[in-house]
Amino acid sequence: MCQNPNEPSKNPSHFESIHSSENLPTHRDLLWEDYQNLIQGLRFFDPHIHMVSRTTDDYQMMAKAGIVAIIEPAFWVGQPRTGLASFKDYYSSLVGWERFRSSQFGIKHYCTMGLNSREANNERLAEEVMEILPLFAYKEGVVGIGEIGFDDQTPLEEKYYRLQLELAKNAKLPVQIHTPHRDKKRGTERSMSIALEHGLDPSFVVVDHNNEETMKSVLDQGFWAAFTIYPFTKMGNERMVAVVEKYGSERIMINSSADWGISDPLAIPKTAALMKQRGIPSEVIRMVTYQNAIDAFAKSGQIDVTDFETESQPDPNAKFHGNSILRGGQQPVINKNSLLIQ
Amino acid sequence: MIDIPKNLTQFLFEQTTEKEREWLEEKVKSNVLDLMTAFVAAPRFLSKKIVSYDSKSKGCLIPHQVGFQVDGWNLVRLSRVWLLLHLPTEPKEQFIKNIETLFDTAELNELVALYSALPLLPYPWEWLPRATDAVRSNMGFVFDAIALLNPYPELYFPELAWNQLVLKTIFNGKPIHWIYGIDRRKNKELAEAVSDFISERLAAGRKVPLQIWRLVSPFANESISPKLITLFTSELKAEREVAALVCFESTNPQVHSLLLKYPDLELSIQNGELDWSKLESIPE
Repeated sequence: MCQNPNEPSKNPSHFESIHSSENLPTHRDLLWEDYQNLIQGLRFFDPHIHMVSRTTDDYQMMAKAGIVAIIEPAFWVGQPRTGLASFKDYYSSLVGWERFRSSQFGIKHYCTMGLNSREANNERLAEEVMEILPLFAYKEGVVGIGEIGFDDQTPLEEKYYRLQLELAKNAKLPVQIHTPHRDKKRGTERSMSIALEHGLDPSFVVVDHNNEETMKSVLDQGFWAAFTIYPFTKMGNERMVAVVEKYGSERIMINSSADWGISDPLAIPKTAALMKQRGIPSEVIRMVTYQNAIDAFAKSGQIDVTDFETESQPDPNAKFHGNSILRGGQQPVINKNSLLIQ
Repeated sequence: MIDIPKNLTQFLFEQTTEKEREWLEEKVKSNVLDLMTAFVAAPRFLSKKIVSYDSKSKGCLIPHQVGFQVDGWNLVRLSRVWLLLHLPTEPKEQFIKNIETLFDTAELNELVALYSALPLLPYPWEWLPRATDAVRSNMGFVFDAIALLNPYPELYFPELAWNQLVLKTIFNGKPIHWIYGIDRRKNKELAEAVSDFISERLAAGRKVPLQIWRLVSPFANESISPKLITLFTSELKAEREVAALVCFESTNPQVHSLLLKYPDLELSIQNGELDWSKLESIPE
C-alpha cells in the first residue's frame, strides 16, 4: 500500500497512494499560540475523524480548541481483518468504549456504521458483515451508514456499496460516501449516480474527500460536499479557505479525517482560524465548521444539540435524588508542562 | 416468559405517554427477533426523561427482590429491562443465546440496561461470567450498573469476585455504601486487602475515603493499632471518629482498649449519634 517506504514522513492516509510531493503553498501548519485567540469561543463539529487511532492527548487538545462533538465513521484499520469477530468488536467499540472515552474529555461521540470499500473485496467476509450490520445500524448515536463507496472501483465494491445504500434507505439514515483517491473524479460521479439510481435523496448523502475538481458536480446535484483537511494528501487548509471564498458555505463542510496516518485532529479549528484571518464572515465559518455537518447528520434523528451546546461543566458535587451523580472514571486534567508527575 | 411483577408494569406505564405505552405493548406481543430489535431501538421511540421515583415505593417494585431499585434511571433504561422480561425463557439454551447476543452487540446504554436486569432474569448463575466481566469494565456507566445499587453481586458473586468489586469501587473513587449488601459481606480477605490499600495510599501521601475503614473494623488487630493511634491524633474530626468506630467494632481487646482514652467518642457511638453513615461521602 505504501508506495514509498523510504518516506515514512509521508505516510499515506487511509487507502491512499502518494503522488509527487510538490511543495505548493497549499497547507500551513499553525501553532496553538498562533491561532488560539482567533478561535476563542467558537464551537466545532468534526463529522469525520477516526478516534480509535488517536491518543488521549488529541482528545484533550480537541476539547481545548472548541471541538464539542465528532462523528467517527467505521473504516479500514490499516490492515485487513480476517474474521467477523474483529468486525463485531470494532463496531461495538465505536458505540461502546470509544464513545465513552470521548465523553471523558467532554466530547460527544457519534458514529456511522458500514463496510468500507477496501474490505468489500473480501467477499466471504463481506457477506458475513452484511448480516450483522443492521444490528448496529439502528443503534443509538449511529448517525449514518458510512464510510462506504469505492476504492479500486471493483464489481465487489459496487455490490456492497449498493447493498448498503439500500440499508441506509430502509433505516432512513444519511450516507457518508468515501470517494476514491485514484481516479477520484470518475469514482465520485459513479458513487453519486448509483445513489440516485437507488432512489436516495441527495440531501441525505454526504460526499466526502472532495477537491476543487469534484465539488461542483456534487453541489450541482444537491449532495453535501465534505472536504478533508489532511496534510500532504488531500485538501490543504489554505486551499480550503480559497474554496470557501469562492463558493461560500452552502452544503459545504470540512473535516479532519484524522486517523493512523500523518493527519491533524485540529484541522478544523486551524482552518477556521485561517478563514478568520482572511476575513471570511463568522457565520460562513460557523456553517462549514459546525452547523452544516449537524444539519446533514441530524436527519438520522440521532443528534440532540443540547448534548453538546450546554456550557455547564459536570459538577461532581451535584446531587440528584439525594445521591451524588457519578461520572465514570473521569480523567483528571494534568498539566503537561510540568516536569513533576504526581 | 417471566412472570412480570405487576408493580413494575404499573410503575412503567405511569411514566410513559400513551403513544409510548402503545409502542411498548405492541412490541411485547411480537416475535423474539422484533422484541430484541425493540430493546435496541427503544431510544428512537421513547423519551429519556428520568423516571420519577417515589421513595415510598422503594423496594416494592419487585416484591421478591427488595434490592432492586430504579433511582435515577431514565425511561429507556427502565423500558429495556421491562422488554427483556418478556423474552421467552424456554427453551433455556435459546433464552441464554438471545441474552448473550444482546450482550455481544450492545452499546453502552444497552449494556447498562442488561446489567441492571440481571437480578430479574431467570438462570441467574448463567450470567455470572458476564457480571464479573462488567466489574473489569473501564466504562464507568457499565461498572456502575453492576456494582452500585444492584442486588445481583451480593447474591451470586463468589468471595474473590465480590472482593474485587469492592476494591475496584474504592479504586474508582466511588461510594462503597452504594454497593448493595456491603456490610453483610464483609470478610477477612477483603479487610486485609483494604488495610494494605490504606497503607499504600498513605505511603504515597494520598488520602483514602474514610468510610472504607468500615470494611476493616470487624477484623482489626494489633497490626493496625499504629494507624489508629495516628488517626486519633488527627486534626480532622472525621478521622478521629473513624478511629473510634474501628476500635468500637473490633473484636480484638487491644484495639478495642484504644477507645478508652476517648470516652466522648465512645459515648456518641453508644448513643447512636455516630455511625458509618456520617462518613458516606464521595472523596474529593
